Amino acid sequence: MAEISRELADIINDKESLKVIATTDAQGNPHVVFKGTLHTEGQDLVFYDLLQSSQVNKNLVSSIWFGRKVAINILAKDKRSFLITAKPRRSVTAGRVFEEVYASLKDRNPDGDLNAIWYLEPEHIEEKTFAVRRAEEEAAFPILKHLDRLVKEERS
Amino acid sequence: MSRNSENGWRSKELPYDQVIEKYPEIPPIVALKIDVSRRGIHYTQAALDRVDPDKHHVEPYNYMIGHGKNAAPIGLFLRDGSVICQGDTPDYSKAYRDPYTLDVVDGRLVLTDEEIGKVYEEVTFWDRPDFYDKKTSNGTPMCLVASARPQRITIAPQTKCHFWDTPGEGCKYCALFSAHRSKDDEGEIRDEKWFQDVEETTREALKEKGRYCSFHMTAGSTLSGAEIFDDEVDLYIKTLHAAEKAFKTEKFPVKLVASAFSKKQLQRMYDETAITTYTTDLEVLNPELFKWICPGKSRLVGYEEWKHRLYDAVEIFGRGNVDCGIVGGVETAQPNGFADEDEALAAVLAEAEEMGRHGVSFADCVWNALPGSMFVNQKTPSLEYYVKLALGLAEVRRKNGLKIYTDDYRRCGNHPNTDLARID
Ligand code: SF4
Repeated sequence: MAEISRELADIINDKESLKVIATTDAQGNPHVVFKGTLHTEGQDLVFYDLLQSSQVNKNLVSSIWFGRKVAINILAKDKRSFLITAKPRRSVTAGRVFEEVYASLKDRNPDGDLNAIWYLEPEHIEEKTFAVRRAEEEAAFPILKHLDRLVKEERS
Repeated sequence: MSRNSENGWRSKELPYDQVIEKYPEIPPIVALKIDVSRRGIHYTQAALDRVDPDKHHVEPYNYMIGHGKNAAPIGLFLRDGSVICQGDTPDYSKAYRDPYTLDVVDGRLVLTDEEIGKVYEEVTFWDRPDFYDKKTSNGTPMCLVASARPQRITIAPQTKCHFWDTPGEGCKYCALFSAHRSKDDEGEIRDEKWFQDVEETTREALKEKGRYCSFHMTAGSTLSGAEIFDDEVDLYIKTLHAAEKAFKTEKFPVKLVASAFSKKQLQRMYDETAITTYTTDLEVLNPELFKWICPGKSRLVGYEEWKHRLYDAVEIFGRGNVDCGIVGGVETAQPNGFADEDEALAAVLAEAEEMGRHGVSFADCVWNALPGSMFVNQKTPSLEYYVKLALGLAEVRRKNGLKIYTDDYRRCGNHPNTDLARID
């Protein structure tokens, strides 16, 4: 299990961050969706699925059944980005906690519904901000570049 | 010595761990649920000590049976959000197999197999329905008017099944309403006060926001009326009309599990009530075994007619909105059932396929030789059989493009084959 740092938790919990989750179905077909409700609760990533027939819900059920992982990307408002691979740990579909979340969602959308609360356990976290990745690549693999980037300027 | 410790059942069939290895397409958690439903659960004292009656869902008595017992949980949540609809089996000395154990290990409530010494899954208790503490204006405790699962409310308008009126004609696996089987016992009274209780209980239950997705009604069969089941139809209509007063829409999600109504009766139910789906249970998908296992249904309606009433229902409610309950595995009951599990499976799935083509979905209950049933001493099939049956029925549904939301993991929770529909 990977630890969510305080800094990353703040980014994940920031309403202005973009959060996408990528899942696969039992046949391996990929699916990606933005999940604005994704947030942290302790070391879990948690989000609310609103439609029982949603593809992300089906894929997560299939993943919790067969031990598959999901990928999440967080894009902060300052353009820093983080890739998290996680395992669905628990789906809450009824009960007191479910009812509390249902009520809080109703405050925002009185005609809305709630399908499930998904708890995901992060297994691996990596910063994928472009500047960070580029510096890493340059340091580790200096040959990975187009030659014209290295052309000496001609004197005029 | 108990029956299950003497008969060596564990050496005669594939255990859970080998079944999930042999059938990688069955989710292990669904296979576990099947096995638990098949073998039952025994709660240790440590597990029972975890029950907080103010917080957890305990039943003061078994609503669907009618017998009194100590207040105890009637089900558990699994970590995939599905449920196991089973309470404690305090005495299993006469059962063919010993049950799973609900225990506390490392501070967690878990399902274990004591003999193997393995912990399988962490579980949690269901939460107590808010309305269970309330009384209607007539002074009736609401928990006697309705029962609940985590996401459905159940009302049984009739607590007597009249197939038992003719000795030996009730269904042989059935323990439902077994407190009301004698001929002169009419079941509980349904007078005007009771219909008022239904309205008030429904209204009160719906105050718990986010809890109920389905209004479930089922009852024993009532055979009387100008046409067989006419009085049953009247009773359901009256009960639904009482409940409907709590809703602002004409139609709402109702799961009605009833006798096989004629097309005229079904049309009336559809036109006059909130229902949009319908379930009637053929129970065992084989005409000969139906005659033996469900003699009352067979004599008074008949296998082919019951099936055709399901097809008629599809014309009214649409494909996938008509559901047929089966007691999966009962086709192997002896002496008349299939002795060979492969033959049983082939026969059941062939019949299911024909019905699926006609737009009928299935809800498979795992047959458990229940106390209070005539089949109490039967040996139920292997886990492997139940797994293949659930997978086979799920395939029939997929192949025929059918949905089963009315009887799925959320609106019922007691059918492994409909749990599999979660990823369709
Ligand atoms: S019809 Fe059969 S299964 Fe249903 S309550 Fe009566 S005896 Fe039991």
